[in-house]
Amino acid sequence: MKPSSLRGKVFDAFVAVLLGAGYVALLLCTVKNLGYARDEGFYFRAASEYKKWFDVLFTDPARALDQSSVDAYWRENHEHPAFVKSLFALSFKFLNVQWHVFQEAGTAFRFPGMVLSSLGVSVTYLWGRREIGRLAGFVAALLLAMQPAMFYHSHLACFDVAVMSMWLVTTYAYSRSLEGGIGWAVVTGILYGLELDTKHNAWLLPPALILHFLATRGLRLLRRDLRSGRTRMPLALFTMATIGPVVFYLCWPWIWFDTGHRLSAYIAFHTNHEYYNIEFLGTTYFRPPMPHLYAWVMTAATVPTITLSCFLLGLVKSGIDFPYWRAKRSLPLAEHDALEASWSTRSLWLLCLLTSYAPWWSADTPIFGGTKHWITAYPFMCLFAGVGFQWTRERLKTLAPAALRRANVPDAALAASVIAGPVFMTLHAHPWGLAAYVPLVGGETGGASLGLNRSFWGYTTGAVQDFLNAHAPPHAEVYIHDTAYDSWIRMVRDGRLRSDLSGTLTLSASNVSLFHDEQHMVRVEYQLWVDYGTVRPATVGVYDGVPIVWVYLRPPLPLPIH
Amino acid sequence: MAPKTLAWLLVPALGLGELFSAMYLSSRPPKLEDWSRAAPALAAMRKQHELVVIAPDWADPNARYAFGDALMPLADVARPDESRYARAIEVSILGADAPELRGWPVVDERHSGKFRFRLVENPAPAKVLYDFVDHIADADVFDAQGGHEGHCSWNKAARREAGGLHGDPAYPSQRWECAGGAWHFVGATVVEDEKWRGRRCLWSEPGAGYVGVRFHDVPLGKVVRGYATLPWWIERELKGAPVDMKVLIGGDVALHYVHRDGDGWKPFSAPTGAHAGTRTDVEFQVSSVRPRERQFCFQADTR
Repeated sequence: MKPSSLRGKVFDAFVAVLLGAGYVALLLCTVKNLGYARDEGFYFRAASEYKKWFDVLFTDPARALDQSSVDAYWRENHEHPAFVKSLFALSFKFLNVQWHVFQEAGTAFRFPGMVLSSLGVSVTYLWGRREIGRLAGFVAALLLAMQPAMFYHSHLACFDVAVMSMWLVTTYAYSRSLEGGIGWAVVTGILYGLELDTKHNAWLLPPALILHFLATRGLRLLRRDLRSGRTRMPLALFTMATIGPVVFYLCWPWIWFDTGHRLSAYIAFHTNHEYYNIEFLGTTYFRPPMPHLYAWVMTAATVPTITLSCFLLGLVKSGIDFPYWRAKRSLPLAEHDALEASWSTRSLWLLCLLTSYAPWWSADTPIFGGTKHWITAYPFMCLFAGVGFQWTRERLKTLAPAALRRANVPDAALAASVIAGPVFMTLHAHPWGLAAYVPLVGGETGGASLGLNRSFWGYTTGAVQDFLNAHAPPHAEVYIHDTAYDSWIRMVRDGRLRSDLSGTLTLSASNVSLFHDEQHMVRVEYQLWVDYGTVRPATVGVYDGVPIVWVYLRPPLPLPIH
Repeated sequence: MAPKTLAWLLVPALGLGELFSAMYLSSRPPKLEDWSRAAPALAAMRKQHELVVIAPDWADPNARYAFGDALMPLADVARPDESRYARAIEVSILGADAPELRGWPVVDERHSGKFRFRLVENPAPAKVLYDFVDHIADADVFDAQGGHEGHCSWNKAARREAGGLHGDPAYPSQRWECAGGAWHFVGATVVEDEKWRGRRCLWSEPGAGYVGVRFHDVPLGKVVRGYATLPWWIERELKGAPVDMKVLIGGDVALHYVHRDGDGWKPFSAPTGAHAGTRTDVEFQVSSVRPRERQFCFQADTR
């Protein structure tokens, strides 16, 4: 399947760039009404601080490298490493402040996240193209891009889709490094360093790669390795262990000083992460034991069923193609070698997928972030979906008349039938991505009836920003509920909200109030009823009839409750 | 054509099936404007202050937006239960039923657009003679410590306070204020129960002694009946001391109710005995051995 001709390679590179650029364009076109999420507010603030450090770096490098400067600017949000936030900062500095490419600073902050998510889509295509074929790779990439939750997270100045892409590109480079040579191995080491510097999901990648090495080395060779005490480890594992930490260190100024202590604090933060609550099947979980079915049910409820079905077909096909079945062992050598190579890649995909889900085998793992926490599995899921698509394509080929086959009509029709649903669901779900549920569970209304979480992070303020601008009294105090104060401020500064509106977290002081739906948050709404003297929202932001965010206006005269 | 090959057509069929299902499912529920358009039909049907119940319950905010406080007053929305209502109107979408009205005979059923209106009758409605929450302004409230009763004062325009997600429930603007801090009052508020439902009740967080709420000349039926809870936010921790509430009817202890964390919205009933059919004083005394964060809230009526 590997593109052999230069023309083929150029064409594939063109398709990959087109996919990526198209996805970025789509994200930019749809960014306006997507409110700034809670965590984005924290990263805006951090990136603004880091931008100041870059300002110093570009004017007075010696001062920038001094510990007092590093500590002053990089202390903010030091519980997360710096690579992606540095990109946010640089994008803010150049694309907003200096060059005015983006009028909204928020969009400038978000832009690197969009580019990284698009990188994930492009690399999914390239890897799928190499392993399965051009059309299957294309379908795999679109199935990744066209998932409501993925589309939502791809807009954000956050780390989740960024680490998904970094995991994918690192693994891709690793896979290429197994073909020999030193170039891809070095690239793998560098990419792994950047992945480490993106989010701590990166800690899970080496176990997946080591398991892959053991699985593909084979029992006979492993026994020999054990007897001799020597083995031929992939060079990339060595570069990941050596170059990776160096890149990680270099790209995160906060750990340049007091390194041991700061690294320990970073690790401790994530290994002892506090539990936030989330609703699942009508119950809000505050602490362990978390439901074991959470990850699986949420995947089935949020990833388009056609994607999951193709994924399962791809798994079955990969199982059938296992090169060590008795029937396969008697194949001609070249054919068997091809199967072995394919098995190596697919076992790598499978291990990355399983490793991404592995933490949710434990009932102690927090579930508050919903699907974004195992989003690193999704590119691999979609690559398997590409395998399933390809298998279907081959089987259905014979059904169409030759004339249609020559015009690629069956291929186009099959691809369209697989992609159409995810495209519709994804675009239709905007800007309510976290509330989107697939028809398998009854869609949005089905999700609501099942008691599945409809939103978190208070991002849906963006969906009622026009109402606030039109109906909030002059100089209104707006209770911002779950929207982080930094996110609110950014919406005002970016001109999304009227500049005379003030955000407040004191409900009684407000005369306009937001309410973001979450089961445990209803106690805030009950406070509103009493404080405002009304149970009537002034507007409701609904997605397919399901209320997600609503706004209260304080009646002119306070009413006693009766 | 081999059936095995044809079976592969299931893949594109599934893809298209999911597409059309998604389109259908997204077009099914009423839009917000549809809810507003349904309001006159509901108003025409609601002639005797019937309880309005929305099915499924997640659509409640849409209904409150469209129908407003007149058709869905706070007392109904945050009701203790449905037993006091003789009739209710179930406003249903997507064919949903309200579980709380199950078993109530349907008197009238109308359809309007995507809505179904069902007028249903309570097979055994309770006749409420006196609602203590509604009459809180008429009560006497005192804070008893060491044999001394410190009287609390009624404030018709107290400073409103609301603690947000991690804070106390809303302090109403009309309340009995007792000495010791803003939290030490008796007044009507709304707290969440174990199912996160809002319940309108009388906040009576005890201090070192007990909080007494005395209602005078209360018309009595056979029972003083009600519910009590702490906000689930507090109760779910299962860390607090029990809260005791004595119900005194005509000076006699008719009930000693104990509320433990985890009990949720828990019913109580105190028989009025010889006082049935008369008018007399009813007093609620709330205390706890460790009163910290004991945000006790009760609802009661006579029937």
